[in-house]
Amino acid sequence: MIKTDVVIIGGGPCGLAAACGVEKSGAKCVILERDERLGGILNQCIHNGFGLHVFNEELTGPEYAHRWIDKVNECKNVKYYLNSFVYMIECTPNGYLVSAYNDEDLIEVEAKAVILALGCREKPAGSVQLLGTRPSGIFTAGCAQKLINIEGKSVGKRVVILGSGDIGLIMARRLTCEGATVLGIYEIMPQSGGLARNITQCVKDFNIPLNLSTTVTRVEGDKRLTGVYVAPVDQKLQPVAELEKFIPCDTLLLSVGLLPEIEIANDFQLEFNPTTNSYCVDEYFQTSKTGLFCAGNVLHVNDLVDNVSREGQHAGECAGLYALGKLPTAEKVEITFDDHIKYTAPKYIYKTGAGEVQVSFRVNKNYRRTIIRAISGGVEISRRPAPVVTAGEMQTVTIDKSKIQEDLHFEIQVLE
Amino acid sequence: MEKFEVAIIGAGIVGASLFSELTRKGVKTVLLEKADDVSNGSTKANSGIVHAGYDPVPGTLKAKFNIRGSQMYPSMCSRLKVDILQCGTLVVANESGREDLNKLFERGIKNGVQGMRIVEREELHKMEPNLADNIDIALFAPTGAVISPYLVCIALCEEGVVNGGTVKLNFDVDNIKPINNEYIISAGDQSVMADFVVNCAGVGANDVNKLAGAPEYPMKYVKGEYLLLDKSQNGFVHRPIFPLPTKAGKGILATLTLHHNIMLGPTAIPCEPYDTKVDAEGISQIKEKIVQSVKQPNYKKIIKLFAGVRVVSGEDFIIEKLPDTRFYYTIGICSPGLTAAPAIAEYLVEKMIQDGLQTRNHEFVSREPYINTETMDKKQLKALIKQDARFGKIVCRCEKITEGEIIQALNSPLKPTTVDGIKRRVRPTMGRCQGGFCLPKLLKIMSSNMECPEEEITLNGQGSEILANGESK
Ligand SMILES: Cc1cc2nc3c(=O)[nH]c(=O)nc-3n(C[C@H](O)[C@H](O)[C@H](O)COP(=O)(O)OP(=O)(O)OC[C@H]3O[C@@H](n4cnc5c(N)ncnc54)[C@H](O)[C@@H]3O)c2cc1C
Ligand SMILES: Cc1cc2nc3c(=O)[nH]c(=O)nc-3n(C[C@H](O)[C@H](O)[C@H](O)COP(=O)(O)OP(=O)(O)OC[C@H]3O[C@@H](n4cnc5c(N)ncnc54)[C@H](O)[C@@H]3O)c2cc1C
Repeated sequence: MIKTDVVIIGGGPCGLAAACGVEKSGAKCVILERDERLGGILNQCIHNGFGLHVFNEELTGPEYAHRWIDKVNECKNVKYYLNSFVYMIECTPNGYLVSAYNDEDLIEVEAKAVILALGCREKPAGSVQLLGTRPSGIFTAGCAQKLINIEGKSVGKRVVILGSGDIGLIMARRLTCEGATVLGIYEIMPQSGGLARNITQCVKDFNIPLNLSTTVTRVEGDKRLTGVYVAPVDQKLQPVAELEKFIPCDTLLLSVGLLPEIEIANDFQLEFNPTTNSYCVDEYFQTSKTGLFCAGNVLHVNDLVDNVSREGQHAGECAGLYALGKLPTAEKVEITFDDHIKYTAPKYIYKTGAGEVQVSFRVNKNYRRTIIRAISGGVEISRRPAPVVTAGEMQTVTIDKSKIQEDLHFEIQVLE
Repeated sequence: MEKFEVAIIGAGIVGASLFSELTRKGVKTVLLEKADDVSNGSTKANSGIVHAGYDPVPGTLKAKFNIRGSQMYPSMCSRLKVDILQCGTLVVANESGREDLNKLFERGIKNGVQGMRIVEREELHKMEPNLADNIDIALFAPTGAVISPYLVCIALCEEGVVNGGTVKLNFDVDNIKPINNEYIISAGDQSVMADFVVNCAGVGANDVNKLAGAPEYPMKYVKGEYLLLDKSQNGFVHRPIFPLPTKAGKGILATLTLHHNIMLGPTAIPCEPYDTKVDAEGISQIKEKIVQSVKQPNYKKIIKLFAGVRVVSGEDFIIEKLPDTRFYYTIGICSPGLTAAPAIAEYLVEKMIQDGLQTRNHEFVSREPYINTETMDKKQLKALIKQDARFGKIVCRCEKITEGEIIQALNSPLKPTTVDGIKRRVRPTMGRCQGGFCLPKLLKIMSSNMECPEEEITLNGQGSEILANGESK
């Protein structure tokens, strides 16, 4: 059995940054990664657009990951194991015991703290109740991305994309560059769930039709997909049957959302947030169980990897301090917010210490000309005009902790 | 031309049961299946319930074979080394349904169902906390059970093979020619000879009868659609929950699978013979009816929609022989066909023996079960990984399936060649991500094991290739 201070599950950008955070705190850690390489989902994101905030540079996914892998390799107290699939977390008198499949031996690591950095998975066809037959040729966008970018395979020639999350948008461009014809992207909501820059660079620049308030209703084909039916939806998001039309195609990509990979910690019955489909954390990225931390995409789906790295690093530092018995605790303040906002991460902050705390959140739809405000003790303690806030973009606000009273409330004032 | 004593047409649960029964009696048997794997018809998409037997009308073949079949299942499953969950079944009703429940109970008694009882409200809601509030009483039948229908069918076929039987896949029977006292059964340019022929072709049974000059029967096809929920909903129900049966059938039920998924359905919608499309209407029917028995399920957790087709011909099963020949046929094997299949097989073998089939003492060879690392403790798992490193490499994260388990399925007696074939044996792509994670890995493993390019690997047979041709640029 391996003994350490902190065990990090997942060696993606969150886990890598967390390891650097643990190192900084003075504690030791072990990363367990199920893949044959570190870097997580970034390995298949060969497009650029990573690292604008952390490195002030536009890097590709693998380049960004390598910056962090290099940092981890410089750390003295970080060990990592690849091909190690964590399947169980148990409590022991000394903290936690984490077990993983590995092709050399079953790995067991005992640690005082655990950081969940497992990322997320894509929702399958069933989750959008895709009707019709069940032929081949239906892929989640990330699966297609892996097949094309990592395995060098081709998934199809005439492609329809359902859902306009970032992965769907990026894959629309990728497939076009691969020589496939992307017949259209269909999004049930009145706005895309992706970043504005991806809509411009991946869709508009390639003349790919992006159809909003429209969905794929059912698929056809007994063996391979032969086509899909699409229809506009009404205000209740129900397809208008009379306007349904058939689009012959051989491939359907689904970009219909991501789900945090949280099942590993189910048995702990942690405080859960149905909006993010994940656990609630405090400003240390600690869940409702002490010593169990959670950050990155497994906490909430991030659109910018820079934010993931920041979260991971902070979670790592806090977990390290926890393991060393140095993490201060105090009375918690629960963050509240108005109904433009869907959730905040963290959910709780501590009424202690000086310094800053960063709070991330998402809004429920797109707004123009807004002011993002934070209020505590009836006083506005932060104010930021935001010309556009979109459902696809995560917002982050930095709060001066010394100004926090008994409460903390976020609101969006919409001027238009 | 290869010669057999018995040729069975159709490798669904009926054909597979017969195959196993005959090979264990030392009979030289061939099982002919048109698809590229066994268990590809009704047997792959149904409720997976071993019915206790209170439903069928007393005196019918359905009643007789249902009871006998349900008695045979537990020992059959242990012989096959496949799981069976002996959880019992419930038919639930509100107070106004008491009389109908009592009738069902009495019918069960007539049919010979053991151990049934009426459960009253308080106990009932303790047994199943997620019953709808208005449910007051239920008929509990402890002999009802849950199985994995395709796995039982596959296991029966494997057992037949390890006991000397032959399975011929991609054998779409298109000609049956009697010559002297034998038959030549052909599919395209392939043929086999046999003394006895048994038609177990499910949806295709009339067509096969026609080839043999046997009567065709009026047939109706009735589609049953289902919703499958993620494992996280495990515990929503602990056993199949039926509403009171109506003329239209057993109704829409909530049940569980052996792997802890929750299944809602089936609908009963007249359809074309091979139509397994899921329609909006069916889904709304399920959602509307299910809440009459149970609380609102969590539809956010749906991972799959699917459908199966029942073949109905009149009120009862048709299990006959073309007079003065050795051609037997099974037609209209709808519910409770899965349950009845082993009993139907037993009956058919008796008939064939009466007609001169020779059985022999045969040294039984037991089928090897698939290794499942998920059920192992750490010590067992460590030992296994030491022995074969591939059992330490996870391929499917949702169901925790290792490369070793997949290779083992690929090398199993029937040597499955499709993604669906592997899925039905050891479950990759069946979990909550439905293959989003494991598909690329699975294709690689299959391609190296089958020594073919990944581009040739199909979901379920030719035409369902997963990748497109042409390297990525
Ligand atoms: C297609 C796509 C395009 C993107 N484009 C951009 C972009 O242009 N710019 C940008 O800034 N951001 C982009 N992002 C966002 C950013 O890449 C992600 O938010 C970030 O990678 C999330 O990091 P993570 O470490 O939380 O998760 P992941 O990168 O998913 O890492 C999780 C790691 O955990 C491992 N793991 C999971 N379960 C286990 C287990 N049981 N045992 C062991 N290990 C396990 C996984 O193998 C993985 O390595 C994009 C994301 C995607 C998917
Ligand atoms: C929705 C639904 C729910 C059900 N629920 C239950 C239940 O809970 N419990 C229960 O006991 N029963 C249930 N049933 C009934 C049960 O599924 C069927 O009775 C049983 O599967 C029928 O098996 P079979 O072997 O007759 O047919 P099938 O499984 O259809 O097998 C027939 C096989 O013959 C092959 N074939 C056809 N033509 C040819 C040809 N020309 N040459 C070669 N091969 C051919 C086909 O490819 C197929 O593999 C249900 C059925 C449905 C549809």
